[in-house]
Amino acid sequence: MSLKEQLKKDFSTFTLALIAVAIVLNIVIGQIVSLLKLPIFLDSIGTVLVALVAGPWAGGLTGLLTNLIWGLITDPVAAAFAPVAMIIGIAAGLCAKYGLFKKWWGVIISGVIITVALSIIAIPIRVYMFGGITGSGADFITAYLLATGKDLFSAVIITVITDNLLDKIVTAFLAWFIVKGLPKRFISRTPRANAVLE
Amino acid sequence: MVMIEVTGLTYYYPLSHTPALKEINLQIEAGQFVAVIGANGAGKSTLCLVLSGLIPTLFNGRMLGNVTINSMNTRNHTPGEFAGRVGLVLQNPTNQISEMRYTVFEEVAFGLENLGVSPSEMPERIEHVLRLTGLIDLRDRSPFTLSGGQRQRLALASMLVLDPPVLVLDEPTAMLDPQGSREVFHIIQTLTTKNTTVVITEHNLEWIAQTADRVIALNKGSIVLDGNPEFVLTSPLLETFGIDYLRYTQAARESQIYGLWPSQTPLPVTLEQSVLGFNRVSSIKKGGG
Amino acid sequence: MTLGLYTAGDSWLHRLFPITKLIFSLSAIAIIFGGPNKWLSAILPGVISILILWSAGIAWRALKLIVQLLTPIAVILFIVHGFFGPANHQILMRLGPFVLGQEGLMYASLIVVRLVSTLASSLLLVTSTHPGSLIQALEQTGLSRKLVYLLGSPLLLLPQMARRIQTIRSAQQSRGLETQGNLLQRIKALFPLVAPLVFSALVDVEERSLALEVRGFSAPTPKTNLTEIPDTTKQQVLRWGMIVIAVCFLVFEFWRKRNGYD
Repeated sequence: MSLKEQLKKDFSTFTLALIAVAIVLNIVIGQIVSLLKLPIFLDSIGTVLVALVAGPWAGGLTGLLTNLIWGLITDPVAAAFAPVAMIIGIAAGLCAKYGLFKKWWGVIISGVIITVALSIIAIPIRVYMFGGITGSGADFITAYLLATGKDLFSAVIITVITDNLLDKIVTAFLAWFIVKGLPKRFISRTPRANAVLE
Repeated sequence: MVMIEVTGLTYYYPLSHTPALKEINLQIEAGQFVAVIGANGAGKSTLCLVLSGLIPTLFNGRMLGNVTINSMNTRNHTPGEFAGRVGLVLQNPTNQISEMRYTVFEEVAFGLENLGVSPSEMPERIEHVLRLTGLIDLRDRSPFTLSGGQRQRLALASMLVLDPPVLVLDEPTAMLDPQGSREVFHIIQTLTTKNTTVVITEHNLEWIAQTADRVIALNKGSIVLDGNPEFVLTSPLLETFGIDYLRYTQAARESQIYGLWPSQTPLPVTLEQSVLGFNRVSSIKKGGG
Repeated sequence: MTLGLYTAGDSWLHRLFPITKLIFSLSAIAIIFGGPNKWLSAILPGVISILILWSAGIAWRALKLIVQLLTPIAVILFIVHGFFGPANHQILMRLGPFVLGQEGLMYASLIVVRLVSTLASSLLLVTSTHPGSLIQALEQTGLSRKLVYLLGSPLLLLPQMARRIQTIRSAQQSRGLETQGNLLQRIKALFPLVAPLVFSALVDVEERSLALEVRGFSAPTPKTNLTEIPDTTKQQVLRWGMIVIAVCFLVFEFWRKRNGYD
């Protein structure tokens, strides 16, 4: 299948309607979780979900647009991290494509891969645009590491990874469970869910 | 003129081994008003998707046989090409809002915009359907502030503005309150004067009896009864397909057992017919006694 | 949840074609982070944005938002880089075991100024433009309707979903499912709150996509628009002007760096 055909298949009207819902789920769940003051974000659960059933491009687009819309309506700072959100979707989609979302241990590995992938994009943005600070609790880790004599870059690397690892593994698991729990009829409309279901 | 022709249709949803529709043969004339009835899971919604050209192209299932709508074979044309030629109204009023437009007026315009209708032509067409559906006073409201019934009328208006020769309605009143249902029924009824071909699945048999030219009963994916409302709705087989009789019909059926319904008179499907029948019995009884 | 940042109004800024404002914001951000003379490039776009916002009568609102959104980041930036900045050399002050360094403070100041400036120039767009108009303008300038849908639909869906959450939350609370308490309790509260929402939203996807199809969403015909947001030749020229200026600044800075002027 050519790339054009694959993209056409990946971006059916059904997928588009799904992406729209996933964007809303990202934002809404992200807000509920922060309201409940949990140590995770879950604001990319929709992104990973789309990545699992509709592939890396659709997943990436979901992440990108989530942050752009977030920036448009509540906090323009979120828009700066749109590329990070995009990488989460792309990485999750690729993990699914290569069969990592078939077994529980694969899901954990995927969570790790997603974290590493997003760090590569997040670190330069955090360091260059924000001086390594984001105004969240994770800044304490950065401050501590700087105080112990680490340079800014290494401090931010460690902060981003510790801050995200648990969240991305939990997110990957939740998205996986949701896909497994979806009705057959729904699954059959999505282009790539077979890569996840055995 | 035949508007819809279905020959030898069997359809399996993906990942499913039992057919959702089985060996369906069906011809619907232009301007005919057809009601489809059946128990839950009988295949009504699937038939609606077939008759609006969305199955097979949109669903990855397996389809045998052929369906032509307005001489277009549904295998060879995408849903995009059927848009404007076949309208479809679904159950859930909220899900049919495009989420692209901020007012009722713009919402109705959405389909016209997609089909490339010239903007100068739009206002007149939109106002016409908003009047027809009683939404003209709400034209500047957000679709999300409307009640369920109003939203469903908006969904109808959004279809009618495209002026499709065929309109398919899949249980359009299932999620509405009685008042909302009445308003939707009323609008659909006005279509009968317009030569639009209408296919509707609906549980309100009383309304079907009054409105439909033809009733089709589905059971487990097959057409089991097909004919005028009097024939189908009074068929002794109806209850074996899990379909309840109309209260008039039911009353007459029960009365028959006690000889309280004239033996030569067909079972009633409307209030008038049932009044007539019971009157006759009482007059016979009086005359005889 | 409302479309929180937009402030309704009828100023000249509100009436500008949204794309003009979008190009302004993007050019400004490009200059803030990539322009020559770090400090000037960081300050100037912000000052211009605030002046424009002020002439449109929404500067106060923008400033309030800037303070609200950036205060935590700014405070932490000054503390972290002031006291622990890796480049700190020149000591300004001692506070017990901590030393305040000049380099760290300067670095933090630059970052804060850049962020304030960036936020000011993006607020210029988002406080004076209804998200719907921005999306319609993007559509008018030729963005594919599929992408337009992906930007537009969530904006309208969000308030619906937020309302649904409220309903579920109050139902949960009245059933005694606490949203307060220890970590475990809060995690337990999360699932009954979110699961019904997620599944019902996903199940609705099919009907929503069908409804779009039958209204010609993927029809092969060229699309039209009921109304057009007015654009002017002047603004077109202005947009190209801003793009050219931003590109010149970036190229100049790139050339300067390559030739080792820094």
